This record gives sequence, C-alpha cells and structure tokens, in this order.
Amino acid sequence: MAARATFEPYRPDWRQGRVMSWITTTDHKRIGILYIWTSLVFFAAGGILALLMRAQLAQANEHFITKQSYNELFTIHGTTMIFLVVVPIFAGFANFLVPLMIGARDVAFPRLNALSYWLFLFGGIVLYFSFFAKYGASRSGWYGYPPLSDDMFSLGNGQDLWILSLHLLSLGSLIGAVNFLATIHNMRAPGMSWMRIPLFVWSIEIYSALLVLVLPVLSVGLTLLLLDRQAGTHFFEPQGGGNAILYQHFFWFFGHPEVYVMVLPAMGIISEVIPVFSRKPIFGYKAIAFSTVAIGFYSMLVWAHHMFSVGMPNFLNVFFMLSSMVIAVPTGVKIFNWLATTWRGNLIFDTAMLWALGFIAVFTIGGLSGIFLAAFPVDWQVTDTYYVVAHMHYVLFGGSVFGIFAGLYYWWPKIFGRMLDERLGKAHFWLVFLGFNLTFFPQHMLGLLGMPRRIYTYQEHGLWQAYNLISSIGSGVMAIGILVFVVNVVQTSRKGARAVNDPWLADTLEWYTTSPPPPHNFETLPYITSARPIRDLRRRLAEARV
Amino acid sequence: MPPPVRRKAPVLLLVVGAALALATVAYAGNGGFAPATPHSPNAKRINDSYVWISIFTGVIFVLVEGALILFIVKYRRRGRPRNQEGPQIHGATRLELIWTAIPVVILAVIAAFIFYKLPGIQDVPSAKAEGGPLVVRVDAHQFYWQFTYPDGQISIDELHAPLNRTVRVDITSQDVDHSWWIPELGGKFDAIPGHVTHTWFKADRAGTYRGQCGEFCGVFHAAMKAVVKVTSQSEYAAWLGTAGDTLGKGEWEGSCAKCHGLQGQGGFGPTISNNALLTQGRSLEELIRQGRNEMPPVANGWSDEQVQALLDYLKQNIYKGAASGG
Repeated sequence: MAARATFEPYRPDWRQGRVMSWITTTDHKRIGILYIWTSLVFFAAGGILALLMRAQLAQANEHFITKQSYNELFTIHGTTMIFLVVVPIFAGFANFLVPLMIGARDVAFPRLNALSYWLFLFGGIVLYFSFFAKYGASRSGWYGYPPLSDDMFSLGNGQDLWILSLHLLSLGSLIGAVNFLATIHNMRAPGMSWMRIPLFVWSIEIYSALLVLVLPVLSVGLTLLLLDRQAGTHFFEPQGGGNAILYQHFFWFFGHPEVYVMVLPAMGIISEVIPVFSRKPIFGYKAIAFSTVAIGFYSMLVWAHHMFSVGMPNFLNVFFMLSSMVIAVPTGVKIFNWLATTWRGNLIFDTAMLWALGFIAVFTIGGLSGIFLAAFPVDWQVTDTYYVVAHMHYVLFGGSVFGIFAGLYYWWPKIFGRMLDERLGKAHFWLVFLGFNLTFFPQHMLGLLGMPRRIYTYQEHGLWQAYNLISSIGSGVMAIGILVFVVNVVQTSRKGARAVNDPWLADTLEWYTTSPPPPHNFETLPYITSARPIRDLRRRLAEARV
Repeated sequence: MPPPVRRKAPVLLLVVGAALALATVAYAGNGGFAPATPHSPNAKRINDSYVWISIFTGVIFVLVEGALILFIVKYRRRGRPRNQEGPQIHGATRLELIWTAIPVVILAVIAAFIFYKLPGIQDVPSAKAEGGPLVVRVDAHQFYWQFTYPDGQISIDELHAPLNRTVRVDITSQDVDHSWWIPELGGKFDAIPGHVTHTWFKADRAGTYRGQCGEFCGVFHAAMKAVVKVTSQSEYAAWLGTAGDTLGKGEWEGSCAKCHGLQGQGGFGPTISNNALLTQGRSLEELIRQGRNEMPPVANGWSDEQVQALLDYLKQNIYKGAASGG
C-alpha cells in the first residue's frame, strides 16, 4: 500500500507570529516604530516623575514625598528624558524616515539596527529596576558628579545600575549612529547629492557624527567612576590623589554636544514642516544645512560653560564664554530662515505647523536666556538655580519635545497609515503650550530670587511660593494636554481617516510611497533633480495634464 | 504693492522692545526679574552685566516674536486653496550675511561689556587702606558651612563680617562638591575637595544676608543654608572674642541637629539623646570623623579643640541619660 501523503496543516514560520515578528524584525520601519513607542512610554514615566516633583514643590514645607525619594526622582527624570526619550525617539524617527527620505531599501546594517534598539530597551529596563536596589535608584543627579556618586556617599547599587544602564544606552546609540552615517553616505537615491538631501537627514548626519565623537568619552568617564566605586581606584577621589573636576570635564565633553544631539533633529523636523505648511521652499537651504554643521562643530568647544563656578583659570572662562556666544549665531541663522520661509506664504495651521511655530516662539526664549548663562559672571549668579531649569526646559521641552510632536503629527499618517484627529491635536497643542509656559517661565524668576536646583523643599513664602504654585499648576495643564494626545492616538488607531500617500502635499521622497510603506519601501524611484522631488513630480503631472 | 504695515512694523517693534527693556530695568531687583539687590561691588557689577544683556536680548525677543506673530496673522491661509503656493523664494545671500553679521556685532558688544566689568567682579581688591582683605576660610561639609577666621576662631553656618571691609573667602570642601552662594554678595563658587576657589565681598550695609548651597550635595542639600552677618567693626571684634563660647552649640546645630533633631530626638537620623555613645569620647570621635553607612564624616578635618567643644556641648545639653533597658 502506497504511503499516504501527509498533509501537515500550514504552520507559519515562528518568526511571523504577532509578537515574534516584532522581536525578530530587522525592518528599519518596524524598528523605528519600536523606538518611537518605547520612547513614548518612557516619556510618560519620566513625566510622572516630574509631576511628583512639582507636587512636592507646590507649597513651602511640603511633605508629599521624602527627600531621598525626591533626589531619586530628579536623577531618574533627567536620565530618562535625555537617554530614554529624546535621543532614542530621534533614533526612531531617523530609522523610519532616513531610508525613505533618501530612497533606500533599508539602513546599511539592519541587524545592527535591531541590536541598537534592544540595547536601548534593556538599558531603560535596568534604569527603572534600579529603584528596587538597596537604598533605591541613583540619587546623585543625572550627571552623577563624584565624590557624591562615589561608593562612600552613594551607598547601595543604584549608582552602579545607573552606570550599567548608561553603558547599554550609549552602546545602543553608538551602533545606531554608525548605522545612520553609513546609510546616509552610501545609500542615497540616484541624483540625490548632498545639497538635495532633506534637511532632516542633514540633522541626523550631524546627530550621528556627534554621538560617535562624544559617547566614547562618556563611557570612559563612567567606567572610571565604576572602577572608583567597585575596584578601589581613585581617579576622582581627592583623598587618594584623584581629581573630582576631571570627571566634570569627561561628562560635559559628552554632555554639551548631547544637548545639540537632542535639538538638531528637532530643528531638522521644523525645517521639513514649516515649508510644507507655508507652501514655499525652505528659505536658505544651504544656510540651514551649514549652520547645522557649524552648530555641531562649535558644540564640541563649549563644554566647560557648565563649569564656570568650579574656579577655572580666567582664560578658560573667557574662551568658553566666547565659544558659547558664537554658537548663538548659527542658531539665530536658523530661526531667521524659518521666519523668512513663512514670509508671504500660504500658512496652513494644521497641528504639525502649530508645533513648529510654537517651537520658534519658545526656543527663541531658551536661546536668549542662554546668552545670560554664557556670560560667566552672570552665570555665577544664576547657575544651579531654577533659572537654569527654566532655560534648559525651554530648549529641551520647548525645543526638542515641541519638535518631536511636530514630527509625530506630520509623519503619523506615513508611519501608521491613519490621520491623527486635528481637533484633538489642536487642543493638545494649546494645552501643552499654555501649560509649558506656565510651568517653566516662572522658574526664571525663582532662580533670580535665589532658589537653587534640586532642593526637595523650601521655607520661603511669598513670591517663592506663588511662582512655585503657578509652575506646579502649569505642569498639571501640560499633563492634561498629553492625555488629550493619548486619547487622539487611541481613537484614531481604529476610527481615524486612512492616509493617502501624500496628505500634506509635501516635498520629500517618503511621501512618494504608500502610507504605511511596503516592506521594500519603493517600487520605483524618480530621478532626483532637486531637494523637493515630490513637488517636482506634482508639477510635471500638472503640466502633463494641461 | 508693499503693504504699509511693513514700514511701520519695525519702528513699532523697536519702540515696544525698548519700552519692555526699560520696564525690565526699572523692575530690576523686584519679583525675580533680575538677580537679588546687590550689596557688594562685585554683585553690583554682575547685576549691571545682567541688565546690559537684558537690553539686547529684550529687543531681539520682541523683534523675533513680533515678526513671528505678524507673519502668522498676515500670511494665514484665509480661505486660499491648500495647494496655492507662495512665491518660490529659495533664499538671499545678502540677507544671510546680514543676519549673521548683526548677531556677531551684538555678541561682541555684550562680551566687551563683560570684559569691562570683569576685573571689578573677579579680582579681589588689594584693599591697602584697610591693611589687606580679611581672609576667611570656608570648609563645606555635608551639610553645613564652617568658617575659620584669621586668628583661628571658628563659626558654623554663620559667617560674621565687618561692614565696608573687603573679605576674601577661600572655599574648599571636606567631602563632596558644594557651592558657596550669598546672592546679594556675589555669585557662586564651588567647594570642591582638593581644590580651593576664591571670591570676595565688601558689604555696604549692616544686616543679615542669606544664601544656600548651590551644588547638589546629598540628602540634606536643601538644609545647607548659610548666613552672613555684617556688623560694625567693633561689634565684629567683640564677636570674635566670644566665638569660642558658642562653637559647641554651632557644631551641634550645624552638623548633628539637621539629621538628629535639635534635642537629639531623632528625625532623618536615629534618636541620640539617650545614646550612651555621646559620653564615650573616643568612639564618638571616631564615628563623627569617619562616618558610618548613611552618616557622613561630619567632623572630617576638625581640630581636637573642635571635637572637644562638641563633646562638651553634647554632655551638658543633649545627653539625657541612657534609655531604660536600652
């Protein structure tokens, strides 16, 4: 009897399961989505930490949380927002968009790309699990200055886990950055010269270059700190002949370029959004591209303006003051070019555009307060006060986060294939815009009144209390705004309008393919003859129709 | 045809900007719109620099935000079709040069003013008429300030200084980084172990000036406050004579009571008023010099006299006898 042919039921490959397909993916778009979602979850976590701090500071002599917890909160809030939100969400945008914008099939090293995401995720998990260490999470500030972060003054393993987490995150970022550089340099579509790549891609080029240049310096500093804590060395311990200031140099040599790592991609997003919603080309493409390069270059020469009060020699203070002021020039060039782009345009106030215009409005304030901080005698008064907290949030929230939301509203249809709701989007913008200014503007005044950073409570009533209360109320308004965004995402994920290929009548190549794009991105590509290939195409079609 | 608003707008914006800058200056020192009202020449010159920068940044602020609002209002869509394009202007090299050059000039003017004021802020005056500056050593500890005067007197958390006399402070730390800051008397200078930083003041008004540690230094950072008491020369001299009497009390309040409570009743740290260790000089000295677990080495760098002053104070005022059964 002939053996009966057996018909096995069709079993899809284990890598195609709903969950496994995400875990094993090497598709730049899926990795980008993983990056963006993970960063948004950490954004919520870091935001909750901030709300707890604002609750504690709402009134004088408050006992809402303990002083040890407060110190953990601001340490982990800062570390979260920088390492787990802003830097990785830009990696997410870059992952999704750079290959699409330059007309590539994927990034240069798809598997390394997956590795960089998983390092990021595990780095974040390590950081949050450090709350369960003996004595709790790290509580020496996001910069972890020794001797406070040494084993003698930071007991328990919270600090060690913080170092481990930063090592994982740095490694992930470094791999991602190398990947973006290789992709941008080697995989551009035919005809896409350096002066025809989208400005967002320029910003990712400099973002990546800066990360490659400065992350190893952070890793060195952290490794020496770990050795001081665990191996009995004395790199930063003065009683053993070490030098505590050396760590500050390591840290800020990384830390200041990091600031531009966090804001340049936001500026890149703004440079994409403003021309599309002004119905004009970007004003001064070359000026914006070169100012991005200039900011990247000068950002490596300004680190010690974080250290004006440590008593550096006068010539160093002067050097770092001048270099910090110089960086205002290319930043100003960008702002003037964005304004010029809106000049005589047909301004369409969709939510993405509101965030972009909001960015200009608040980032300008952050830039101007930076000039006070660069002038080091003035810095001696305001450094390490709430003035710096205000300044830094005006550039990192008003800059980076406003840019991130502009990017989310702009590219959401491309990434997820559905439009976000415009009405909810506008409510989201106005609530956050109002709440943001309520929260952070009075902090300038608090700093000038003499309120230092990182104090868990204060005894002063009167103006101190009034400004703090306004600030705390503002943080609540912002939180409501963010909730509106969550509602928007949840509602439109099922009921949102389907996105067409190019809902905004945009300029760049990612709008040439479907929304969301197929795994291989493009069937065909037009030959690129300018920085606005899709507008060229629309015009050719219109001419052909006539 | 150019709309007329284009010619009026810059003038209007300049006027508003100047008015705003003036208002800021007039308001200086009140409500947190400028650093604290200065009472020392260096702090005064820092405030001058602040006002100088405010004038330029104020004008730039008004121009940029004004242009933004103007463009938003003027070039809004107003029912135009979505695909209607504005003029396809790709840039203007001359404009780029102008808005690169003007900020450079403004920044140069700001920097020049800083250089002009800098020596008067930074350099300790030689004060020859007063016989040189009075030098006070500041040792920052977790979580108190220790001041050592030229003749060896010591005070805790309260710096006494004579009126109209140049005082140089030499700042260092005995444990972690701190930052010395009395807003009305000048800027922040970090206290870093292994380094000595310097600043100075010359108070022009008798009174009490408050400040607090400016660099995060641990769990009681918020409690690390400092007071500068400026009195007449004679009152200062009189105080110096009696400084030794209050040393033990100052040490208790500055270095022990913030954690253990003013009566030693406990707080963040354990109750110590009933702990027999308070009477055991040798072991207690070792504990406060070296620290243990979460307790910092508060007496790091103390002289034997300082330790003795604290021990005496503890025995007389804090120790209430061992708890029954404990």
